[in-house]
Amino acid sequence: MIILDAKYIALAQMAVGGGLMGMAYALVAYGFQLTYAAGKAVNFGQGELVMLGAFAGISLAGTGLPYWVSVLGAMVAGAVLGWFVERVAVRLALKQHNEGWILLTIIVGLFALSSVENIWGRDDRPFPAPWPAGALDFFGISVTWPELAIAMGAMGIMTLVELAKRYTMAGIAVQAVSADPEAAELCGVRSRSAISLSWAVSGAAAAFAGTVIGPVTTVGPTMAAALTLKAFSVAVVAGLDSGFGLVIAGIALGAVENLSGYVLGSGWREAPGLILLILALALRPQGVFGKKIIRKV
Amino acid sequence: MFTGVDLGLRENTAERIVRIVLFIALGALPAFWHGQYALGLLTLMAVYGVLLIGLDATVGYLGQVNLAQAALFGLGAYASALAVQAGAYFPLALLAGIIAALLPGAALALPALRLEGPQFALSTLSFATLSVIVLNESETITHGALGLSIVRPSLFTVALDARGFYWLCLVLLFMSWWVSQILLKSRFGLSIEALRDSPTATDALGIGTLRHKVLAFAWGSALAGLAGALHALNFGYLQPAAFGYDLMVMLLLGVVFGGRRSQWGAFAGAAVVAMLPNLLSNRTLFSGLVSSGCVLTLVPILRSLISRRVPAFKEAAPAVAMAVALALSLFASNVEEWRKGIFALFLFAAVVGLPDGLAGAFASALHRLIRFTPDPLPPATGGIRSAGISVSKPLQVFKLSKSFGGVRAVDNVSLDIGQNEILGLIGPNGSGKTTFINVVSGLYAPDSGSVEIAGTRPLPGSLMSAFSAGAARTFQNLQPFSGLTALESILVCQHDGGKSEAMGWLRMVALEEKARQRCSELSYGDLRFLEIARALATRPRLLMLDEPAAGMSKPDIARLVDLIASIKCAGVPILLIEHHQDVVAELCDRVAVMDGGRLIALGTSAQVRRNPKVIEAYLGADEEQTSVQGTSEPQLC
Repeated sequence: MIILDAKYIALAQMAVGGGLMGMAYALVAYGFQLTYAAGKAVNFGQGELVMLGAFAGISLAGTGLPYWVSVLGAMVAGAVLGWFVERVAVRLALKQHNEGWILLTIIVGLFALSSVENIWGRDDRPFPAPWPAGALDFFGISVTWPELAIAMGAMGIMTLVELAKRYTMAGIAVQAVSADPEAAELCGVRSRSAISLSWAVSGAAAAFAGTVIGPVTTVGPTMAAALTLKAFSVAVVAGLDSGFGLVIAGIALGAVENLSGYVLGSGWREAPGLILLILALALRPQGVFGKKIIRKV
Repeated sequence: MFTGVDLGLRENTAERIVRIVLFIALGALPAFWHGQYALGLLTLMAVYGVLLIGLDATVGYLGQVNLAQAALFGLGAYASALAVQAGAYFPLALLAGIIAALLPGAALALPALRLEGPQFALSTLSFATLSVIVLNESETITHGALGLSIVRPSLFTVALDARGFYWLCLVLLFMSWWVSQILLKSRFGLSIEALRDSPTATDALGIGTLRHKVLAFAWGSALAGLAGALHALNFGYLQPAAFGYDLMVMLLLGVVFGGRRSQWGAFAGAAVVAMLPNLLSNRTLFSGLVSSGCVLTLVPILRSLISRRVPAFKEAAPAVAMAVALALSLFASNVEEWRKGIFALFLFAAVVGLPDGLAGAFASALHRLIRFTPDPLPPATGGIRSAGISVSKPLQVFKLSKSFGGVRAVDNVSLDIGQNEILGLIGPNGSGKTTFINVVSGLYAPDSGSVEIAGTRPLPGSLMSAFSAGAARTFQNLQPFSGLTALESILVCQHDGGKSEAMGWLRMVALEEKARQRCSELSYGDLRFLEIARALATRPRLLMLDEPAAGMSKPDIARLVDLIASIKCAGVPILLIEHHQDVVAELCDRVAVMDGGRLIALGTSAQVRRNPKVIEAYLGADEEQTSVQGTSEPQLC
């Protein structure tokens, strides 16, 4: 085996740690994809849903419930909130064919943020998780259990939803609605219900992301805005209609972020990712893995 | 029925009077409302006013969700503070602020060209986040999170006290307001509203998307920079964190709450954003305000209950939001802690309940109470006789091909139109007719082959370049400028002439009476005619009509046939796609038939109809549909 320079090992360590965290961005971004496919809208308050999910998980775990039950509870809460956002914020505005839904989802997120600050306080909290202490070692690069949980959890959820989309009636109905809502209605699919379902699943995925990110970082009101931006970047760079491309985009963003924090200093952590995002948008507006849009008149 | 009081005033005049009164009142206010604190609030309101009028240019008029305004505000503030530190005079500090925001702000128009809705919002959000990071981390210049302190320099020789500075801000607000209004009511303003509704149509009619977007962003950002400079000179202390996402959300919501596409709305939004934190600290005042808001939101619910139906979600939601806000203001232990939440509830109620904001709601109430004298319309001049610019070879297409994936939509088509000719282009659905027009008009770049319009070769795939060569077109799926009136739709397309010429074009299509109606209120048939008038107003050398009779009623089709015949008489060559075979037979000098992307026949209407290939292409179609009732000769001029 080649013994690598300590410096390269440290860099690789950073990249791997960031990449694993990036899986969480990919999971939240996946939530964007789900709602975009179904109703051509995304939740600009998705970060707040992640945060709410994490806090719900903390509170449930605080009552003495086992970890898995509180994660499940958080997901249910997330699903309800996702459904709620679609009902109160998106449906009305999309009917008026304007960008009002962007504002309304920001508004609902703002209310959520304020509620969290008042109910759970402004301080960051640790998220209790039953993972063993210590780390696994791969060729000198250590991976902690909570980090591994992010990656496994994100892949697990995405795989489950993708399978459900393909092999259940509800999933096929959702796909039909995303292809053409009117045609789906004519075939007896309620497109409203399908869109609501997508938002609920998206909310559940966001809440789950909160419960797996919590043990690695901490949980606090400040996590929301940054997460929305990162996850949305991942979704757009990958292409809002691109499927698993966002896993690659998520891992890349997480790794770039961690590396630039290490090399340039923690304040610059997010800058290269943002520059890459702007470049990606400039060069391929439809996303790196997205399909080209043809203007029709 | 009450139809409103007639004041015998024009709306513009009334607005100007009220605005001037407002500014005099605002200027006199410090004399009655004493104290540094009140003065500080008023100054903040004036600064936010400038900022929001700028934001409204992009968010309201251009319709782009621009999340960078707070960051541009910050860049302007820092630039002017650094200029002051370097010893710049007062006006120079303002200028530094404007330039520092204007340059990156104008560059935001470039992503706005290619990205839509959420993607564009994201690109501005990333720019904003990046700016705050740079301000935070360039510690040697900005002192990072520690903050930057400056002392306000004197204006020429006058050392401004707080009151003097307030008056300066007020004057600048007034000027920004005034210039914005002139700018956005002018042809430039009409153009950016048009391109919000249909960027394809504005490019195809030569209005020019790029130029207008860059200008709108530049103007909005210049105001952000000016506001930033005033902010820096007002507070004398800056921190990067103040220009982050929170401020951006407040600004955006301020514009929406006040009312988009209105300087009054932006000003109202600024007042709310500036005053709200202080309203929240006074509990009685605040509860009173929330209660009255609550009552207002109950009106639509009561209205629906009176007419005995269950209130719709849209009517009930604002009241629920306001009820929650009321409960919070009464029972929450610390209202200020709930600041963001209550603001969110307010905004929710406003966005859902008043889609046009405070200003919009106020304006519509006012229009119910007062009848203003409308601007007089000038008599129509010009019109169809002035349309023609004769060219010998309006269109020459040589071996044109265009594929989408594996589909050859246009396959090796060569075609030309002679002087003063109407060429019909027919073929079954999906035969490539619209794609052909789309390539000729520059919406798509061809894979191979060439297009020559009136003797020049436009850049492939550029609508603007095809337009400059002399092409103008209409669209199979209507592309109206929904926010503009019929008259304004013509005005933005005209490159010379004023309102009377525009009226002339409307007279040509018998829409004179509807000149003041918004396109969103016009009927389908009217819009089809308006598209033709719009295209002719650009004085084209080649007019392309894509299924102008689609969906029209019988009498309208008869009018259309007369119109097209008279356009031909005026000397404008026409490429006409049409499914109504009787229209084609009556109007067209020659008819080209496409099938599966290829040109299968070309000749007079009668020749083409006998062509076995054409009969085969249409096989399955009813005999009666493809044949013509009566054999009318092409109308003679």
